[in-house]
Amino acid sequence: MAINRKKIIADMSKVSVLCGSTGMIDAFGVLVNQLPTSFWNNFASKLTHSVSEELYPAAKTLLVNAGHECGYHTGYGIITSEEWKAVVGPMVEKQPEDILHGAFAVFSAWGWAKCEVVELVPGKKMVVRAYDYYESDIVRHGRAKHMSAYMLQGVCAAFMDLAYGGPYDPTGKTGLNTFECEQTKGIEVGDDYGEFVVTPVAK
Amino acid sequence: MPIFKQVVMTFDKRFDTRTCRHSLNGENYVLHCHHFTTLYSQLAEDAKDFGGVKMLRETAEDSFYNTLKRYYADNNITNPTDKVRIAEEYYSCIGLGKISFASVGEVSGHVVLSRSHVDEGWIKKFGKREQPVNYITHGYVTAVFSLLNDQSVRSFTATEVKSIVAGAPESEIQVYKN
Repeated sequence: MAINRKKIIADMSKVSVLCGSTGMIDAFGVLVNQLPTSFWNNFASKLTHSVSEELYPAAKTLLVNAGHECGYHTGYGIITSEEWKAVVGPMVEKQPEDILHGAFAVFSAWGWAKCEVVELVPGKKMVVRAYDYYESDIVRHGRAKHMSAYMLQGVCAAFMDLAYGGPYDPTGKTGLNTFECEQTKGIEVGDDYGEFVVTPVAK
Repeated sequence: MPIFKQVVMTFDKRFDTRTCRHSLNGENYVLHCHHFTTLYSQLAEDAKDFGGVKMLRETAEDSFYNTLKRYYADNNITNPTDKVRIAEEYYSCIGLGKISFASVGEVSGHVVLSRSHVDEGWIKKFGKREQPVNYITHGYVTAVFSLLNDQSVRSFTATEVKSIVAGAPESEIQVYKN
């Protein structure tokens, strides 16, 4: 494989996303914020603990969807950015597979999760393992009842949408939600790592 | 002639190569886009039967209260004017926009946003709307008012009276002590 994860992480982790005098961060085709991870975790945790077991799937779907749409649009912005062209572009030999591996290296560089693709059947299945991710921090308060890396689940599916779901659609009407992700392991429930299995949405 | 020293916030950004986590002044942070923020705000509204909006405001208040309180303590920031300036700088640094604590009193105050990630992100994704949507900033504002008045969280309430999301050039938030 041509993708050098270590180099991507070393280079891309240094990329600084800065606000201008307006306090707005315009990057990768989206507006970006950089908030404490505890903020996102605490809201998701409070929300999912406040709903009944019957309503938990609905809350989970909405939390995952937020990650899915974020991953789709921001992911596209990343893989078409100048930073990507400079660092990852020269490593890409086979498309879209190398782009996927590169995207998850960038994902690690930018602090979303220390993760990598461990299995890939083009267009059919992807398995991602995450060895450290902020959404697992809730384990500090005790093992979670549910696997709860909602953002990661969404982004894993989104990256497969970008790779195999057809041309990028800024409206999200096509491409997005071609794939779905099931989290099969989670640090927050006591496993050694998080595992995310992505497959096409059944038609 | 008096000499004035303007306090500026220092941003100690680090990347842990072992965990691949970023930190700002010792606190883990993460980049997210306006799609994510907008959908979380919408989710809070959808969860109205569970107090979703209140939950989002309070989560924001707790988070930013702790962050700023720690910063003030670690850097020996005691002057209220410096605390306000730092709160305004931090808000911009994290990409939430441009905020001005126009007046801060013991029982009330007035805050103005000339730019807003949440409002402008909502407009980009869904278009304008009449009702305010910037619950995250409501929490930010009440956190700052609590800190400036040496109060605990939930001491103030923020009410947005004008909103960028509704088409106003600036958002305005009135703050009152509970």
